[in-house]
Amino acid sequence: MKQSPGLKRIQENMQPGAFTAHGFLGDDDRALKDILRQDNVVVEKLNLSHAQIAGRMQYFTDHGKETLDIPVTVDDDYEVLVDDHRGEIPCPFADNQKAIKTNTKFTNRKLGITMYWSDLNIHMIRYHGFYEGKGSFFRNDPDVLAKALGLID
Amino acid sequence: MEILLTIISITGISTVLAVLIIIAEKFLNNYGECEIDINEGDRSLKVEGGSSLLSSLAANKIFIPSACGGKATCGLCKVKVMEGAGPLLPTEEPYLTPEERKDGVRLSCQVKVKGNLRVYIPEELFNISEYIATVTEINDMTHDIKEYRLEFKEGEEIKFKAGQYMQIETKPYEKVREKAIRAYSISSAPSDNKAVELIIRRVPGGVCTTYMHDYVKVGDEVRITGPYGDFYMRDDSDEYVLMAGGSGLAPIKSLVMDIMEKGLDKKMIFIFGAVSKKDLYYEDFFRKLDEENEKFTYVPCLSRPEPDDKWEGETGLVTEVLGKYVKSGEGMHAYLCGSPGMINACVDVLVTTDFSEEKIYYDKFS
Repeated sequence: MKQSPGLKRIQENMQPGAFTAHGFLGDDDRALKDILRQDNVVVEKLNLSHAQIAGRMQYFTDHGKETLDIPVTVDDDYEVLVDDHRGEIPCPFADNQKAIKTNTKFTNRKLGITMYWSDLNIHMIRYHGFYEGKGSFFRNDPDVLAKALGLID
Repeated sequence: MEILLTIISITGISTVLAVLIIIAEKFLNNYGECEIDINEGDRSLKVEGGSSLLSSLAANKIFIPSACGGKATCGLCKVKVMEGAGPLLPTEEPYLTPEERKDGVRLSCQVKVKGNLRVYIPEELFNISEYIATVTEINDMTHDIKEYRLEFKEGEEIKFKAGQYMQIETKPYEKVREKAIRAYSISSAPSDNKAVELIIRRVPGGVCTTYMHDYVKVGDEVRITGPYGDFYMRDDSDEYVLMAGGSGLAPIKSLVMDIMEKGLDKKMIFIFGAVSKKDLYYEDFFRKLDEENEKFTYVPCLSRPEPDDKWEGETGLVTEVLGKYVKSGEGMHAYLCGSPGMINACVDVLVTTDFSEEKIYYDKFS
């Protein structure tokens, strides 16, 4: 099925140089509708929702924000470091939302997994089910993310 | 055959309709000359209708702050429009408070000039000018912070208050096809009025900081506008707490230099938060000021010093250090520049030390 003009416009917003220098799609050449659909299938198979995943990410980010630039241990097994930069970034889904340029470095010590996400990632996962394209710096595969966050075994 | 004829007919009709729409648009969207009345007759501009209020004003050298270039994503270009703006657009709604909506405040990038307008623009915005400046120096301050000196053309000068900022316009580069506009605080003193110095920290993936760090070289010309902002020194206190993190040092340096140059009798403590020693800069400058001035105290604070740093200074959260040095804020002013997280946390600490909230001035990185 062809991609709707609305999604096509959003995919243009995700190109390098539109909202960020590197864009949101990495080297993924799939249409946005396919990226969204395939990640959605993965999340459904895990019996989770995007909101649950985003909520868990927000939980760790909020802990990190309490200590500014200092890493904080959360619930014994996780280490979180939050770092923010000047400016705000609009959501490429053109929903009039914007996020402060805050990045979270998250480590699941038990599993030895380190991941990065921004406040915008949390928003895009929660409201749009978008985990970024493959090869993008902030792309986190939903199954790996859910595991690292302790949502699945 | 019948199907083919139907397709041809529909295509033909669609084409004719499309042409008619294009022709009609040309006539209907021709708004002609429009008048923008500014501040109840103080100024009046004649502009060709059809452009945004933001760009119509900029074409007449009235520069409203804007960091997104008219995409309605920064919410900075607010202007009060008393008449002629048309209905509020959904793109503006997230940026306007109920009070602002009631007062007729609009995002000037979203208001199209289609007829005569009556607007209110704060006086200070008339001092904003456009400069084509030459980059005469680029200094590496840390691993991710550079300082730029931008000199104006012969005969040009700038009048700004220490703490204010400029906006830089980037040119298209690599895959970035559109210009971008971003704000950076001035780090030089107002007395140095033939140039401005800006401190820019690289934002990973940032359109403007990537441009400045990787593409701008000494000798290049850069389009800048300014000065902007209401983060500047208020002179009704003799004691200041200054706090900064990262590139937030820029406006604080300008403030300190201004106070020193003017010989103002102010007691100041400057707490600068950084992660490790490699993130400190202008160390010699501030340490020298500390040594030579009884009334100036410099307190660098590292949140995560490296073992190799052999750091003997303050460590930990900048808020803890603040609480240690500032016991009572009565009668004092605070000037903070840094990330929203740092500022929110510092404000929370300051208000517990009798600081009056309206005497806490800040420039959040947003």
